Amino acid sequence: MSDEIIQIETPFQFTEENRLEFDKLMGRYPVKEAAMLPTLHLAQKQEGYISPAVMRYVAELLEVSLMKVKDVVTFYPMFFEEPVGQYVIRVCHTLPCALRDCKVVLEHLKTKLNTDVAAETDLAKGTTSDGRFTLMKVECLASCDVAPVIMINDDLHRNLTPEKVDEILDNLE
Amino acid sequence: MAFIKLNDLEVEVEDGTNVVEAARQHGIEVPHYCYHPGLSRPANCRMCLVEPYVFFPPAGAIVPDRQLATGCTTVLRTAPPDRKLDGKYDFIVQTDSPRVKKAREDILEFLLVHHPLDCPVCDQAGECDLQDFSYRHGHDKSRYLEVKNVPPKKDLGPDVLLYSTRCIVCTRCIRFCDEVSGSGELGLIHRGSHDEIDIPRNHGGAPLQLLDNKLAGNVVDICPVGALISKDFLFKSRPWFMKKTNSICAGCSVGCNITLEYKEDGVYRLKPRFHGEINQHWMCDDGRLGYHYVNSDDRLQLPLKRVDGELTPTHWADALALITEKLLGTEAADVAPEDIVVIGSAQGTNEDNYVLQQFAHDVLKTTQVGLFGQLPGEEHKFPQFTIEADKNPNTAGARTILGAANGNVVLEGDALWERVAGAKVVYLVSGGPERPLEAAESAALEKVDFLVVQDVLPSDVTQLADVVLPGTTFAEKDGTFTNSTGWVQRIRKTIDAPGEARVDWEITQQLAKQLGGEMNYHFAGEIALAIAENVPGYGEATHQKVGDEGVKLT
Repeated sequence: MSDEIIQIETPFQFTEENRLEFDKLMGRYPVKEAAMLPTLHLAQKQEGYISPAVMRYVAELLEVSLMKVKDVVTFYPMFFEEPVGQYVIRVCHTLPCALRDCKVVLEHLKTKLNTDVAAETDLAKGTTSDGRFTLMKVECLASCDVAPVIMINDDLHRNLTPEKVDEILDNLE
Repeated sequence: MAFIKLNDLEVEVEDGTNVVEAARQHGIEVPHYCYHPGLSRPANCRMCLVEPYVFFPPAGAIVPDRQLATGCTTVLRTAPPDRKLDGKYDFIVQTDSPRVKKAREDILEFLLVHHPLDCPVCDQAGECDLQDFSYRHGHDKSRYLEVKNVPPKKDLGPDVLLYSTRCIVCTRCIRFCDEVSGSGELGLIHRGSHDEIDIPRNHGGAPLQLLDNKLAGNVVDICPVGALISKDFLFKSRPWFMKKTNSICAGCSVGCNITLEYKEDGVYRLKPRFHGEINQHWMCDDGRLGYHYVNSDDRLQLPLKRVDGELTPTHWADALALITEKLLGTEAADVAPEDIVVIGSAQGTNEDNYVLQQFAHDVLKTTQVGLFGQLPGEEHKFPQFTIEADKNPNTAGARTILGAANGNVVLEGDALWERVAGAKVVYLVSGGPERPLEAAESAALEKVDFLVVQDVLPSDVTQLADVVLPGTTFAEKDGTFTNSTGWVQRIRKTIDAPGEARVDWEITQQLAKQLGGEMNYHFAGEIALAIAENVPGYGEATHQKVGDEGVKLT
C-alpha cells in the first residue's frame, strides 16, 4: 500500500544570485508556468540535479502542481532526477555519428573513464566512482557535418578521434 | 438553432453543440475516448474523427473536406446566410463514410498497440469503451509484431489503482484533477509511447503526493478503459451480473443522482448519474463508499425490547403491543399528548416523515414534533463541486413535511433536547450510518420513561431505547428526498431489507392502526400524492412527475 508519503526534508532554495536571475526570467513570460524550462535549468545548475525538493520549490514558485513539474522533468532527458558527475559527457549515436565511428569514441571513453553507459532511469550506472564524469548516449546533437561529436556539459566537441578525446579530457580541470 | 445534415438526417441542434453530442442526440454513435462532456477537450485520442463537407469554389460543388475533423472540437453554429451549404445547411457532416470508418479502424489499431489482452481478468470488461468500440469499429486483428510496453501497476491513493498497461493515455483523469477537483495530483511521466499516468514520486518511485482528494473516485468512472480501478470494487463482480437502479445518494444534502448497482446479497457500488443542476457527472467518495453500512452484518433484523435492562430480540406483534400498551393501556392515563415527543429523521424519505407527522398529529394528538439526523460534517468546496456539511439527504424535506402539513413547529437542536428531557414517551426515528450521541443528547434521552427507536444499526441511540424497531436504508425503500437546493428526487427499492426489518412508514402506519388511527397507504407513491395535496410547494412532487429528473420546488 502506498498510503505513506515521502516527506521532503531538506528544503531547496535559489541562491540570491539565481533568485535575481529567476526574477529576470519572469519578466519574459506572460504566465508563470511558461517559465518552467528555464527555471528548471537554473535549478539544475545550482543543485546538480532535480531532486523532489527542487520540484516542490519550482512548483511553488510557478504556482503549479507538483505533478506538472514532475511531468516536465520526466519528459526532457536533459533534466536529471539523480545526482550526476561534475562533467556530463553526451555521446551522439545517431546515424551520421554512427557512420563516422562514434562507437570507437564511446568505447574509448568507457575504457578511459572505467565506467558503463548511463541508462535513462539509472544515471549512477554511467557515473565514475569519483563522481567526476557521467557518460551517456544521446540522440542527434545537430552537428552532423562535424561528426562524430560529443558534448561535455555545455560545450560541443567535433570531429573526434580517441586521441582528441584524450586531449579534451586532459584539459578539463 | 443550427440546421445540420448529419449523414442522411436533417436535424436541428442548439448552437454550440459539438458533433459527438449532436450525433448522440440523434442515436448515432461517434466513438470517443478523450472527450468527456464534463471536461476540456484536448482532442488527443483522434477516435471521434468525422468528415465535414465544404464548398469548393473551383468545382462549384460541396465536397468532403481535405482532412477529417475531430467531432468533439467541431462545434456546430448557425452560419451567416451567404455561407449556407446547399442554400440551407449550416453544416454537413458524415460520421460513417468509408474514410471515417477506415480512420477509426486505424486509430484503434494504434490504441491497441500496447494494450494487453487481459479482458478476462479486467474489472472494466463489459463496460469498457475500448472493448465496445474495438468490437464495433475496430480491425479484427493486429499487425503489431513488436514487444509491448509493460509499465508497472501502481497504487495511486486510498481507493484508486492504476493498471498502466491498459491505459490509452486519453488524459481524462488528469483533466479531472486539474479542472473539477482542482487538486492536480495526476500527470504524465516520460514521453511518447512510454507515457504513463502517475502521481508525483521521487526517483525511487516512492510517492510524494497521493490521489486522495474527496472526488478521486470519479477518475475511475471516467476512465474509458480498465486502467483506473476502484479498490473498493476490485474483483467483486462482473458489471453484467449486477442490476442497476436510478437512485439518489444519501450521503449529504447535495443529493447527487446515482445509479445503485446491486445483487441479491447487497449493494455493490454507487456510480454518479448526470444531473445538470445538481451534481453534473460527479459524486464524492464519502457518498460513493458510504454505502457499506447497508450491507453490514450488524444491521437490526428483529425488533428488540428491554428485558431486565438488556435489549432482547422479539417479534413484531410483541414489540408493537408493548408500545400500544404504553399509550392505551393502564398506565396510559399518566401520558398526556404533550408528554409525547415524536422525532422524524432527516435520513428518512418525505413519505416516512409524512406518515410520521400524521401519526403524531392524528393519532397521538401531540404537537411536539422534532427532527433528528446525522451529525454535521465538514463542507468541502472544489472548483466545480461542493460537498455539503449537512450529512443528511432530506433535511429540507423532513423539516417542511414534519412541520408544514399541520402547522406544527419542528423542534431542532437544543430546543428539541430540552423538550425531550421533560417528555414521558419519545418516538424517535433515526436511520443511516451509526449515529453517535453527544453528551447533552444522551442525557436528555436517558431521562425519558419510554423511548421507542426506529433505526437500522445498533448505535448510541438504540442503546437507550426501550423498544427498537428495525427500519430500512435508502437502498431498501421507495420514496423521495428533498435536497438543500429544493430538488425533490426519487430513491427506489433495490435490495430487500435484512431479516424482518420493515420500511419506516409501514412501521409507523401499523402502529397508528393499532392505536386506532385511520391510515391506509399501500405504497410510497400513494403517500407522495397525499403530500402533493397537503404540503405547500409539493404540488408537483408526485412520483410520476419526479421521475429520474427530479422536480424543483417552487
